Amino acid sequence: MAQSPPGQPAPPPPPLRGDPVAGGGKPGLPVPFEPVLTAAFGDPNSLKLDNYVRRGGYTALRRAVEQMTPDEVIKDMSDSKLVGRGGAGFPTGLKWSGTKRNPAPRYLVVNADESEPGTFGNRYAIEGDPHMLIEGMLLCCYAVEIKVAHIYIRGENRRGAEILENAIAEAYKGHYLGKSILGKEGFDVEMYLTRGAGAYICGEETALMESLEGRRAQPRIRPPFPVDVGGGLFGRPTVVNNVETLMCAPHIINRGPGWFASIGNPNSPGPKVYTISGHVNKPGVYELPMGVTLRDLVYKYGGGMQRGQRIKAVSPGALACQLLSEEHLDVTMDTATLTRPPFFTDFGPVGFGAGGIIVYGEECEIIDLLVNSSGFFARESCGKCVPCREGTTWMHMMLRRMSLGGARPRDLDVLLDVARNVGGRKTLCALGDFAVSAIGSSFRLFKNDLEQAVNARAEQRGNGHSTGRTERTPAHV
Amino acid sequence: MPLSEALKQRVINDYFPRYPTKRAALMPTLWMAQDELGWLSTETLAEIGELLELDPTDVESVASFYVMFNRRPIGRKLIEVCENPSCWVNGASQTLERICHKLGLDPHAGHSGATTADGEYTVRPTECVAACDYAPAIQVNWRYYGPVKPEDAEAFLENMDRFALERDGLTPMFGTHEQRFKDGSAWQVDPASNGAPPPKPKEEEKK
Repeated sequence: MAQSPPGQPAPPPPPLRGDPVAGGGKPGLPVPFEPVLTAAFGDPNSLKLDNYVRRGGYTALRRAVEQMTPDEVIKDMSDSKLVGRGGAGFPTGLKWSGTKRNPAPRYLVVNADESEPGTFGNRYAIEGDPHMLIEGMLLCCYAVEIKVAHIYIRGENRRGAEILENAIAEAYKGHYLGKSILGKEGFDVEMYLTRGAGAYICGEETALMESLEGRRAQPRIRPPFPVDVGGGLFGRPTVVNNVETLMCAPHIINRGPGWFASIGNPNSPGPKVYTISGHVNKPGVYELPMGVTLRDLVYKYGGGMQRGQRIKAVSPGALACQLLSEEHLDVTMDTATLTRPPFFTDFGPVGFGAGGIIVYGEECEIIDLLVNSSGFFARESCGKCVPCREGTTWMHMMLRRMSLGGARPRDLDVLLDVARNVGGRKTLCALGDFAVSAIGSSFRLFKNDLEQAVNARAEQRGNGHSTGRTERTPAHV
Repeated sequence: MPLSEALKQRVINDYFPRYPTKRAALMPTLWMAQDELGWLSTETLAEIGELLELDPTDVESVASFYVMFNRRPIGRKLIEVCENPSCWVNGASQTLERICHKLGLDPHAGHSGATTADGEYTVRPTECVAACDYAPAIQVNWRYYGPVKPEDAEAFLENMDRFALERDGLTPMFGTHEQRFKDGSAWQVDPASNGAPPPKPKEEEKK
């Protein structure tokens, strides 16, 4: 049952659906877990406001507005130990209180530009339960005293944009948006949706704000940080949150921060929407407690490997994270575990990203995987910082040449050297680090495989053994 | 072709009040212009620059940054095949090649794509479209289709609706919405086994 921290005036409200039974008195125990974020997914009616209200929607907002001060809402978020679900893992309560310390006007920006290959939870969240996102946004606006909220959705997700536009229109009609929301004097929120146009870099918060301001999406120099004056949207203090982070907020207010903190790994607790794809039999969206093991994700929920093959490599948080191998099957998948030693290597943390797990079986050659992933980063590098702009393209060209059988002696050493000079916080944003994480971890885990494949292909060269496509132009050329 | 007056009015009335600067209305304006005209010519960009009080080159620098803004005419059906790892391990590259082969296009034309002579189809590879559970995923005019395995490529071109993901007003999906999750059977975890590795899967025992 939810435990209210001392000093919190209101008792926990009745739970929304059934009894919350997570934790079972023992932290980290995932039994029996009840999905809250994805509960309405798959129901065609769940997009409608009246359906959401019938399911207990907007009760958290009503409760916050009628019974809690904005600071109490922020305290609940801090006590829940919710960390950002977008990948960086920044404590949400800290972000909200940090923004609130700075003068108004402030903005809320929702980062719905989920472009990381292998992550698709936010798309389903927007297409499955848009009003839960809007309620989470309103809670943030109430807590941080924000009057204008922007949603930046990736351009490819045209349907998600339509659904959100409809949901926002409905919320205006139902007086959940606009002036004096829920009769609270001075609680006014305007909500706007902006569509991106296909740039991976927009997932980076400062690049996203540049795009929202009508510029090329190139990251800004920090500090000033988005929470500070001069660093946020239009130079104002700005909260930039992921879709899933905000969707957690109504449940934290409704069930209490103790309920949330009792789920999963105590260092980064809560329900998490995992997305599994690649060589698994049942790829999909799975809401589980933070910290299920990789083995469970692949074999229990993901339905095992296609054609019974063994696991070769796993990207734990989609393409930007370092690779794991079969020996890491028992690692718990959560932000806290995968960003601290022993999962903090010379190429930085392994990383959990947004929880998009890509599983590669034995059918996948590491060298081909690296060609594919390095090509993605070469095309998506925004071109602002030289190490990333030049390095990603050169690494991709080298890897492609090696995969086609054109390896020269010392190629792998040169590649590692380039990778070290692209990664390691040498760029304004993390894309440089992302681009080398798969390469760096392959040198640690699959060096033999790499050498064998490269040498074997070099020997076969000229015998028609080309495996890659030849024309891969970087996007910015 | 110039932009319609309705579009300009919509930018002025709907989008200028949303943002503190006129420049911030650029992304929505580019989208509306592209939806209206199909692609963004230099003249269109200059017109948008005039509307938003921006330099035409400035507008062009933004429009050419984003891959979804077309700087040249494209086919009526824009087929984009995701080639990122989740789709790639499931055969996306071969799907792309087969689609191009069937339409008589060059599969290696790169990310700007190739267009059929009759202007019906443009085919190009794209980055992850966030439909990795339906790998290989394809977007046609930014509607989701999948999975289109290499052997399904010809069938896909003949009848795209069969592969459409957006049926009944909802994208179907695998995962927690399934019955085994809804009735709770998938959540029955033995408390005693917490922390201990579950039994190894069968294919590992064989080896």
